[in-house]
Amino acid sequence: MLGDSRKAQEVFQATLREAAASAAHGDVPREPFWLFREARWRCLEESKTDLQAEPLEMEEYEITPEASLQIEQLEPAQLAIWISSAPEPQRTALALFYLNEFDYGEILDLADLKLSELSRLLVMGRRQFQAWLNMMAPQISKI
Amino acid sequence: MKAQRLSRAQRTLLSCAPINEERIRDRSMRAALSRARGSKEFANQQSFDRAMAALVDAIPIPPETAEWFSDKDFFPASKWTWKKMMRNPAVLAVGIAVLVIAGVFVFNLLNHLNDFPGSATARKLLVLASSTRPVLLDPVDADAGTLGDLFFMKHGLEHYEVPPEFADFRTIGCRVFEDEESRRIAQIWLVEKRMQLFLFPAERNMKTGAVLRFPGWRYVQQEGWTGAVAEHNGVCFMAALRGRKDDLIRYISEAKE
Repeated sequence: MLGDSRKAQEVFQATLREAAASAAHGDVPREPFWLFREARWRCLEESKTDLQAEPLEMEEYEITPEASLQIEQLEPAQLAIWISSAPEPQRTALALFYLNEFDYGEILDLADLKLSELSRLLVMGRRQFQAWLNMMAPQISKI
Repeated sequence: MKAQRLSRAQRTLLSCAPINEERIRDRSMRAALSRARGSKEFANQQSFDRAMAALVDAIPIPPETAEWFSDKDFFPASKWTWKKMMRNPAVLAVGIAVLVIAGVFVFNLLNHLNDFPGSATARKLLVLASSTRPVLLDPVDADAGTLGDLFFMKHGLEHYEVPPEFADFRTIGCRVFEDEESRRIAQIWLVEKRMQLFLFPAERNMKTGAVLRFPGWRYVQQEGWTGAVAEHNGVCFMAALRGRKDDLIRYISEAKE
């Protein structure tokens, strides 16, 4: 989420410190995933002062049956860069969804989103990624 | 996706459909998925999502980040010790409860270790002995051994005989009364150490009616009083005095000698 390992480490350690202090005082929140949410808010706070990408009108394209083959051609780092450059809260939604560790209810809880918002962000993300795929791996899309 | 078959809410849900179907927990999602199954559009979305998840899974974790999650424990698990466990309030409470229960059990066990048929009645009579005054008894100045005839002639009590160990002691008075179970009990007051003698029916087997016999002398204690009990011919005899067991044993051993 930060694209800077030093900052990420600071956030990680600050979050753990906070969690340890809360646990020591016995006031650990009862809600699940509070640690993830805390870490996310810290990341957002940290990235507030960073250079922000200009809002960009991205092309969108309907998902094609060949999309999975196009994705297979990509390098994992390319996808990581693509997701990390998405605007918030789309970046969080895509990252948490494709991490495949949380169900949609947990993502809503973690990212403070409504179901309709999450749905819109994912649909838009898929369509934008398909458009980008068509640009990056056009040969398969033409098969 | 066949839009005509899906509601707007279901379309919203389907766009968040989990990549692995085993992760589905709620019914509305399951319903939406079952309606969308077979739809080309949804199949495209699922294969797209699976490919994306596989690629995300392959994203390498930078070595400096991997170090944060080393195999070593951040906080080593505290060692389990007896001392720690004993300080646990729940364990402490259970321990105390078990000790109390064990104490009560041992106390009861020790109390009833020397029980014999008729010991409960003997204890009740010891309580009675502690509260009896000589004026309650009919004055009789005789040898205790002679009162057996009196009990038989006057009250029809057979075998209510004072054993030889106590037969020669002089009496102050005697009486016959019924207890709460309508058993006839003979009470004799002796001059010797203000000792009291009791004669009462021995306990019987509830089914057969046979007398529950026990050999020799048995001792009971209650409220500072001690009783020596013996059974003979279906009648229990008890000599009771305020004091210890040794004070009574002396009379019985002397008689034997």
